[in-house]
Amino acid sequence: MTRFDISRRHLMCMGLGSFGALTLGGRRVVAQQSSVALQLSWLHSVQFAGSYIADERGFWADRGLSVRLDAGGPNAPVEPPVVTGTALVGISAADYTAAAVQQGAPFRIIGVAMQNNPFAIASLPQNPVHTPTDLEGKRIGMPLANMPVLRTLATLNGVDLDQVEIVPTQYDAAPLVAGEVDCLLCWSTDLPIAMYVQGIESVTMLMADFGYTLHSQTYIATEESIANRRADLVALMSGEVLGWEEYRGDLEAATDLTLSRFPDAGLDRATQIEQARRQVPLMFSDLTDAQGFGWFTEDTVAQNIETLALLGMPVDAALWDRSILEEVHG
Amino acid sequence: MNSLIRPTFWPEGLSRNLLGVAVLLVLWHIAASALTGSYMLAGPTAVINYLIAEHALIGRALAVTLQNAAWGFLAGNLAAIGLALLVTLLPALRLPIGAVALVVFCLPLVATGPVLRVLYGPGPGPQITLAALSVYYTTFLPLLVGLRAAPGSWFDLITLYGRGAWSTFIHIRIMASLPYLMAGLQIAAPAAFLGAMVGEFTGADRGMGVLALRAMRGLDVDATWTLALVAALVSMIAYGAIGLLAAWLGTSKPDILLATAPAKTSGNVASVLRSVTFVLATIVLILISWWVAMEAFALSRFFAKRPDDIWRYLMTAPDASANRAVLWAASQATLVQVIPGYLAGLGVGAALAMLLMLRPGLSGAVLPVAIALRSVPIVTTAPLIVLALGRGAAGTITIVAVMTFFPALVACMQGLRQAPGQVLDVMRLYATTPLARLWYAQLPAMLPGFFAAARLSVPAAILAVTVAEWLATGRGLGALMAMTASTSDYNLLWSAIVVVTAGASIGYALVGGVERLILSRLAPEQLKP
Repeated sequence: MTRFDISRRHLMCMGLGSFGALTLGGRRVVAQQSSVALQLSWLHSVQFAGSYIADERGFWADRGLSVRLDAGGPNAPVEPPVVTGTALVGISAADYTAAAVQQGAPFRIIGVAMQNNPFAIASLPQNPVHTPTDLEGKRIGMPLANMPVLRTLATLNGVDLDQVEIVPTQYDAAPLVAGEVDCLLCWSTDLPIAMYVQGIESVTMLMADFGYTLHSQTYIATEESIANRRADLVALMSGEVLGWEEYRGDLEAATDLTLSRFPDAGLDRATQIEQARRQVPLMFSDLTDAQGFGWFTEDTVAQNIETLALLGMPVDAALWDRSILEEVHG
Repeated sequence: MNSLIRPTFWPEGLSRNLLGVAVLLVLWHIAASALTGSYMLAGPTAVINYLIAEHALIGRALAVTLQNAAWGFLAGNLAAIGLALLVTLLPALRLPIGAVALVVFCLPLVATGPVLRVLYGPGPGPQITLAALSVYYTTFLPLLVGLRAAPGSWFDLITLYGRGAWSTFIHIRIMASLPYLMAGLQIAAPAAFLGAMVGEFTGADRGMGVLALRAMRGLDVDATWTLALVAALVSMIAYGAIGLLAAWLGTSKPDILLATAPAKTSGNVASVLRSVTFVLATIVLILISWWVAMEAFALSRFFAKRPDDIWRYLMTAPDASANRAVLWAASQATLVQVIPGYLAGLGVGAALAMLLMLRPGLSGAVLPVAIALRSVPIVTTAPLIVLALGRGAAGTITIVAVMTFFPALVACMQGLRQAPGQVLDVMRLYATTPLARLWYAQLPAMLPGFFAAARLSVPAAILAVTVAEWLATGRGLGALMAMTASTSDYNLLWSAIVVVTAGASIGYALVGGVERLILSRLAPEQLKP
């Protein structure tokens, strides 16, 4: 298994990037400027606003780091660019990371942006799903790839899955609105907001409230990077922590920054501000208030391991590596 | 595709085309009114309002995607021209290059996208490459035919004047091939745009694909339909412009129909052995190219699997039989939808062509609708069609049919006109009905064009079904390949690529076999080299 491939092209890119930084980045002159990339897990949106703040406010530049933010998409897996070194850090999720590690990728989770998992069951008020047992007798629309998620929720809450009709759909609220299904398996921060902005009232049952404990929007890096590029990792994560703390302080400003930074992304303010609001309780908790953004403990890791076991992905606590965060917050 | 398209649709009967557009607008308005509140269809007024409100945003996105599509169009078609010229000058290379070109064309976009993204890093590389990959084969094939599509007497004339192969090439072959090139370029235009949009799904900052994704997720039906229609309109304009260019260049419509002369099988042991050897050699060549490409770019084995990884995964690993079972189940789910859709598309195309032959007055209404349907990017329409027609077989079959009927329609119309005039005159003298003329004279003339379209539609049908499965139904091989993003099971992804590509190639060969069988009975003159 090739552990860490660094291609000639990548080296050239880095070279060109540094050259660009030297010629253009006169704003903050720092001794050694290092160029890295952060691979996002989806298209640009307020979902990554903390990173935009870190960039705009110079939280990375202050630490001698220039960070390129690479957009994700429906056909853009996060793990390959991190394995190849195209990106130093990727935004993954505990289950995606565990699966990649099972396939031989040398990843560690070095920080957790979403303490609470955003997976939810969305339904309409006239036929609502408030608790997992409400699922019985209903038709649920979801991509079949998410079957393990539903099965885990059912196991945790004693739901008889034979009583639930599963309709394979793609990730889209239209089947619910059209009455083709009674509920959807989705993130609480996207499809319910789409319905809200279109004026459709919906009921959202957060799975994290019913035992589905799984870190999401996790920062991943290779073992190789953790061993050899600690300074860059610490600088990157410091910027993230500062950016997200500033985000929490002013959601309006974070939203406006996102909109002005990506005028061509087709973002609308109503959706973005609502998403910004709804992801706050997922990202910040008593734990992060006490220890700082991105933190995790032996306890939360143990809960994650239990959920991952139910998902069919046995992992051990070594998948999480807190040493970078300890330097950031230390 | 041999004789694809009449290179123009505008100059003649502009008013009839306008009538067709008007009919379409009215039908669209009625449908949208009937579906109000269902979040499926936006009517003409909603689309116009959205366009006015967001024209700047759409304009910028269109510029980006169009630029990537144009570069891909250029690169793909230049590659096609280069390959066709190479093969014409060195005929020994024709079979191996043709085979590899077909296999590369059959690679599923869903799977090649992420690999290209890792290769290129951020930027427009994957968008341009996917656009190029979407077009090169549909130009390569007709060009190959065009370079041979000249009467033997012309070649004799050049020889009489004592000129060599180079003069033949310049004065006859290139000139003879122009109409075919133009026909290929016409269908390349919408394909390049679709390729560029799918490329944006691999991670892009802006473009029509990015906006389309946002609109679909945001339940923004007005935006979804506006984007789909703008994309379709741009593709149609490109299609029409290339037609006008062809007319301006004075190229006649391709009028010699050749079924890319399927290799003759004499049935003796030696020739069967030769065919088997050729197929095996092609497979080996492709496996070696695959391996070399992975090694040349030093791609990590985590996601860039080599042939030996796939062999282990499917054959020698402890859970190989379970892996095969997963693939087989997904393949079956895909097959039961792609085959009816493909046959329906070909059938509808041929039936429409015959209808237009019997009732030419309808063409003004039918052709613009047909071109529009072909040009609407499937990535935006697939989820809507599935929503409208249900998640059963009907939705996916319709999507596949929409993607395959157009080449069949155009090639069949072309073919129907090839029936020898003297034969038709004699039949008219004997007062045969138009239906009898169609059945006895025009239908046999149509068959070669029909089969040419049938062969080229195999990869198109597979593209359609995998995209529908990926974006809308969540079943079958398309969904299996898309699932890799969350499971990192790249062995499964590459196995699926092998299955899809092999399936498309086998389908292509099967259609060629059926073609030989039927043509040898009904139109044996078409099989002459």
